[in-house]
Amino acid sequence: MDVTLNVHRFVEGKKWVQKYKIPVTVGMTVLEALTVVKEKQDPTLSFTCSCRSSICGACAVRVNGNAELSCEILVENLLKRYDTDTLTIEPLGNFRVIRDLIVDWDPKYARLKKIKPAMEPKPEFSAETGCKQSPEEFNKFKKYAGCILCGSCVSECNKNTLNEEDFLDPFVFVKAERLVADSRDRDPKAHLQAVQDAGLWRCFNCQECTAKCPKGLDPAGAIEKLKEATFKMGLSQGVGGKHAKAIYDDISESGMLDESKLNIKSEGFIMAGMRLPMALRLMNTGKMNPLESHPVNPDIKTIQAVVKAAEKEAE
Amino acid sequence: MKYAFFPGCVLKGAAAEAYTSMTKVCEKLGIELVEIENWTCCGASHAQGVNDLAALAVNARNISIAEHMSLPIMTVCNTCTLQLRTAKHRLDSDPKLKEKVNGILKEGGHPYEYKGTSEITHFLWVLDQHPELLKDKITRPLNDLRVAGYYGCHILRPQEIMNHEDGKHPQSLERLIEALGARSVEFDAKRKCCGFHAQLAAEYDVLTVTGQIVDSADKATANVLVTPCPLCQMQLDMYEPEGREAVHSQAQVPILHLQQLVGFALGMSKEDMGFNRHVSAKERLNI
Repeated sequence: MDVTLNVHRFVEGKKWVQKYKIPVTVGMTVLEALTVVKEKQDPTLSFTCSCRSSICGACAVRVNGNAELSCEILVENLLKRYDTDTLTIEPLGNFRVIRDLIVDWDPKYARLKKIKPAMEPKPEFSAETGCKQSPEEFNKFKKYAGCILCGSCVSECNKNTLNEEDFLDPFVFVKAERLVADSRDRDPKAHLQAVQDAGLWRCFNCQECTAKCPKGLDPAGAIEKLKEATFKMGLSQGVGGKHAKAIYDDISESGMLDESKLNIKSEGFIMAGMRLPMALRLMNTGKMNPLESHPVNPDIKTIQAVVKAAEKEAE
Repeated sequence: MKYAFFPGCVLKGAAAEAYTSMTKVCEKLGIELVEIENWTCCGASHAQGVNDLAALAVNARNISIAEHMSLPIMTVCNTCTLQLRTAKHRLDSDPKLKEKVNGILKEGGHPYEYKGTSEITHFLWVLDQHPELLKDKITRPLNDLRVAGYYGCHILRPQEIMNHEDGKHPQSLERLIEALGARSVEFDAKRKCCGFHAQLAAEYDVLTVTGQIVDSADKATANVLVTPCPLCQMQLDMYEPEGREAVHSQAQVPILHLQQLVGFALGMSKEDMGFNRHVSAKERLNI
């Protein structure tokens, strides 16, 4: 069986899609397919790779719109998934392209630096005594230390696609949570404040990063842990944090969201007041009725007690 | 076929038409829905960012009530499904966490413990798994409709939890659209997130993507867009005018709840489906 690869080429400002047809062998990865093209058909095709063992993170590309580590994804599995004999291969999304499938990491490293991405040990640690922590403390961030910086998580990030200037890349949030949750760090608030300043609450919660991480690190989950830490450390600020807190409080106050007051609680009276035209639009279609009283769950006492017990346990 | 129904907040509020259309369509399909008594908000994908354990306990409580009813849970909201299934996944895979959460429920005076006996599904998945539900019931095949099927995010991702189908190449919505007699159209923005959950924190970006999605469906010649998520529906329908402005588009496309599209194929009217409560492009739906 043959596969046709439609590869998005980019050389010195010129873009085009080039077709290559190669035979599919059993167990062939996308990286092996690209290597066959380069060795037998077109030595000008450029891509990066190194370990070929899903560890170095150098070979991530986009196949049919989804980021994949090309050294671990099998061509035959992709042909089956998309029920096709043709695959479209592009460089990762939300990166500047240098040439063909090679992307520029320098701007990404500059963004990573915004969160002070190094651990500053607490003063009680020294070169002589070491920098110790318990296995339980280590387990709190162990998962996030496994990031291989492949860039798959940001390729289809919906927020980054629209505007990356007021947001970070998912792998940066992973790095931040790895540091904030590390008991050895002198000042977790410094990383956390930097993350919040750089757009923590603007995440769309689209889960693309978690779906694309080849290491199963759940960057979207890391973002939620960082948000929770802003409340624990008293740093939460801005409309995003207030909105989350308003929803959380609604559960204890009535059991369900009070849509008519959410904007006021999240943005304040003045900003919410500027949304009057939208409110009128919703009233016109019956979607909002300011005269309707918000129902309270008959079991609200139990719900409040459950939330309180959980809060006490989480302390 | 009987389910413990978890409607979620918006079906009792701004998207009340999604509730009435759901109950009418399920009745016609022979699906019995018993609403979970005294359910609470699932956390709306925000509560866990304030206190994760409290958000988990709240959903353990929701699920435990359905377990006491000895019924599987059905929702018709992507985010509710994700929040409930995430809670179930975590509790079922971590006995210590389950014990801790059951301790919290007991301390709070909740009468049932979380056991893990009720499955959690979405209306789209039920229809996909049981095509026989529609058999001989389609009285008005939607032959004239070209439908842009818009999944939304939380019914597809993360794959580990939302595993009805391959989230990188879903087909259930297309299958259902075709089964209803309509034509499913491919459109570029099909996989974009509507941004509902960041509407306040990233407003300009969210309005831009709202406009992009509607414009993309329109350019693909869709005359209606359908979604299995009432939050996506609200974002695309309520903010369609602002979305148009953000991307300088003229596109006007009616945005339907999944169960409304099914209801139309079952012969129900716009009034039955609460279509008068929609905001945008109402006059463009010819049913």
